[in-house]
Amino acid sequence: MKNKIFIKNPLYLIILGIIIGIILVSLLYSTDKLQEEIEDKMIEISTVDIFSISQNSAKSIQSLLKQSLNYSEDIKNDIQLQSEIEKKLKILITENIKYAYLLYKDNQGVFRFLADASPPEEKANLNQKFDIANSKWLEIYDKKSPLVIKQKFIHELSLSYITPILYKNNVSLILAIDFSVQKVQNINRIIDLIKKGIFSIIIIIIFFLVVLFIQTIRYLIMQKTAYIDNLTNVYNRNYLQELKDFINLDDYILAALDIDHFKKVNDTYGHDVGDKVLKQFSNIFQDSIRHKDDIIIRYGGEEFIILAKVKKADNISAINVIERLFTNIQENKFYISEKESINMTASIGVNLTPHKSRTFSEAFKLADTALYNAKNNGRNSIEIYDENETNKNNSKMSINEIKLAIEDDRVICYFQKIIDTNSKKISHYEALLRIIDKKGNIILPDKILPVIKGTFILRNITKKVLDICYAELLKDEKIHINININPQDLINESIITILKNYSKINNISNRLGLEIVESEDMINYKKAKNNLLMLKNLGYKIFIDDFGSGYSNFIYLTEIQTDYIKIDGNIIKKIAEDEVSFLVVKNIVNFAKEANIKVIAEYVCDEKIYKKIQSLNIEYSQGYLFSIPSPLNN
Amino acid sequence: MRFFITLIAYISFAFSNQYTFLVNKYDKEIELEAKIISNIAKSSMKGKTKLFIPKISDLEKKVYSKYFTLSETCEDSNFIFINKTIDEKQLCNTTDKLFFTNNYKKLIADKKYFGAFFWSKSRPNIVFISKRLKEMNIKLPKNYNQFIEYFNEK
Repeated sequence: MKNKIFIKNPLYLIILGIIIGIILVSLLYSTDKLQEEIEDKMIEISTVDIFSISQNSAKSIQSLLKQSLNYSEDIKNDIQLQSEIEKKLKILITENIKYAYLLYKDNQGVFRFLADASPPEEKANLNQKFDIANSKWLEIYDKKSPLVIKQKFIHELSLSYITPILYKNNVSLILAIDFSVQKVQNINRIIDLIKKGIFSIIIIIIFFLVVLFIQTIRYLIMQKTAYIDNLTNVYNRNYLQELKDFINLDDYILAALDIDHFKKVNDTYGHDVGDKVLKQFSNIFQDSIRHKDDIIIRYGGEEFIILAKVKKADNISAINVIERLFTNIQENKFYISEKESINMTASIGVNLTPHKSRTFSEAFKLADTALYNAKNNGRNSIEIYDENETNKNNSKMSINEIKLAIEDDRVICYFQKIIDTNSKKISHYEALLRIIDKKGNIILPDKILPVIKGTFILRNITKKVLDICYAELLKDEKIHINININPQDLINESIITILKNYSKINNISNRLGLEIVESEDMINYKKAKNNLLMLKNLGYKIFIDDFGSGYSNFIYLTEIQTDYIKIDGNIIKKIAEDEVSFLVVKNIVNFAKEANIKVIAEYVCDEKIYKKIQSLNIEYSQGYLFSIPSPLNN
Repeated sequence: MRFFITLIAYISFAFSNQYTFLVNKYDKEIELEAKIISNIAKSSMKGKTKLFIPKISDLEKKVYSKYFTLSETCEDSNFIFINKTIDEKQLCNTTDKLFFTNNYKKLIADKKYFGAFFWSKSRPNIVFISKRLKEMNIKLPKNYNQFIEYFNEK
């Protein structure tokens, strides 16, 4: 995780670069200091012997002047003495000592030559003025001891060593030697090179830091563009991917929002209007949230995540944001054209305690569970995730449990009779899915199907049910069995192939009825309609299940050439008491007779209902009055 | 590619001293010399200085022209700086011109020079001879006093 942060955030690279820069600057400073120390040490090593020799020479010159009362005047007046002193000075000249000379200071404070060991072309005249160019020379008159004077301004020389020759404890003469310490210069040259190398590296690092800084800014700008949804101008799924690893779940409550029936808007008015509606939703979101604190992410077509900031462990203000947003949606008119508007609603699932989850994904799942409940409870509502309530509902099987049940062959079918209303003889059986859990309990479809809806496992379950029914049909050639099948099954090649193969064997297709559930989806699946027609031609009987529920099913009759309709149990169960329900059923029956479609009444659970069914001349009945679902051999 | 060109340019710049230091140092010495001669000339005479250096080199021309109007001939000049060994008989020896040298021995030996700037033990030295300054009616500012020598010349 740390590595991930390090790589993903270029600011850390900038900090690293600055640290390296500081280290290198310190190194450069140390090298500078080192240069000075090495220089001093080299001077000390190179000159220690020479200094001794120079001091000896000064002593020997002084011994020549033993009888003198005025050193400078006596030397000036004595050519012989000058010559002897110069001989002593010449001994000092070596490869490194370029000049050796004897000076005195006159009454005006001007230094003048008394002797010079230089070759004739460079030799100074007796009493020639000498501009010392460094006031440090004067210190010798106070210190009365030898001095080393560094010469930095002339590249040929490194330093001068001056030795006082005292007369009556006063400096009377100065013996000077000028060094050219080549070794020091060589070492300094190497150190200088190192300094320049380090300096170059620092410049390169600064260059890289500048480039990195520019790239970081560009990266941040790019990142912003990549993370904003073009249509709604809120964050998109990319941002969610980036955010979910870093977000502090303690700081937010998490809500999942789904626009109700948005698909119908798209289907009815077209995608352009759909986009327009989405933009209006986005505007409502922007007006409802606290911009500095809350985050809105569009993570699907009409699905949004809201992260409302919790301040000082106060959930109220964060919940208020969700409520404000929900109310604003309800109160808003969504314009589909300049003049026309529609009402839209949204379902929201809220997880008030995302910090209890280990990851963002887990926290989101809980909000999604609450959203699922909001949708199941009729939509247009806010549901707060409740752990206890969810645990109660958790008697639903998990996907893994269902997969395991298929593998362990624990998927079975119970069968419920469909009888001829008049003769009460068995006409068909409806195969109903059951799973035996590991404890031997029989699990009903409402705990199974919602979990696997839209997944490949549902296809596998359908295949399993087909297998079971096929085996039963082979066992007993007199029975007819109906299975429930949904539009997605009808576009699945392997299921279609199975049904095609069945049709070739022992008249199976004539005894296997296909009850279409979720028939409203058939309109959207042209291929499913074509396949259904093909299956009908192969001999399969087509049933529309739960007819009369939801929106008007009559339109589906034009799309699906059905043989039977099964009237929804919710209408049938009220038929005895409710006149409207009775009239609805009556009309359906009349229409079906006109259309030559046979009718089955579901949920016939008592005699009263049965009598009504008889009075309406409904051909077939199904319900607890005749049988409860059970294994076929019972 | 742009980065590498920048890098090479920078390294060349950073290390340029390593291969041009001789020229630079030489430039510096001539520069210093020209500056000192310029100050001396300005202090020694009134009006515009027209400098003549016999056998002047290209480098000297380049450096000295920053401080002086250079003359091609001795006759055309009013300040002559002799810094090389030349046949001095060919020079215009008129009293309306000032002669300066870079050689102490020449200064002592030849009375036409009123002063010298030279390197003694690798240090810059300036010497003016008091009597010649008086004879040539040259009044130097007080800060030049430390360079004036009071010789007993005949």
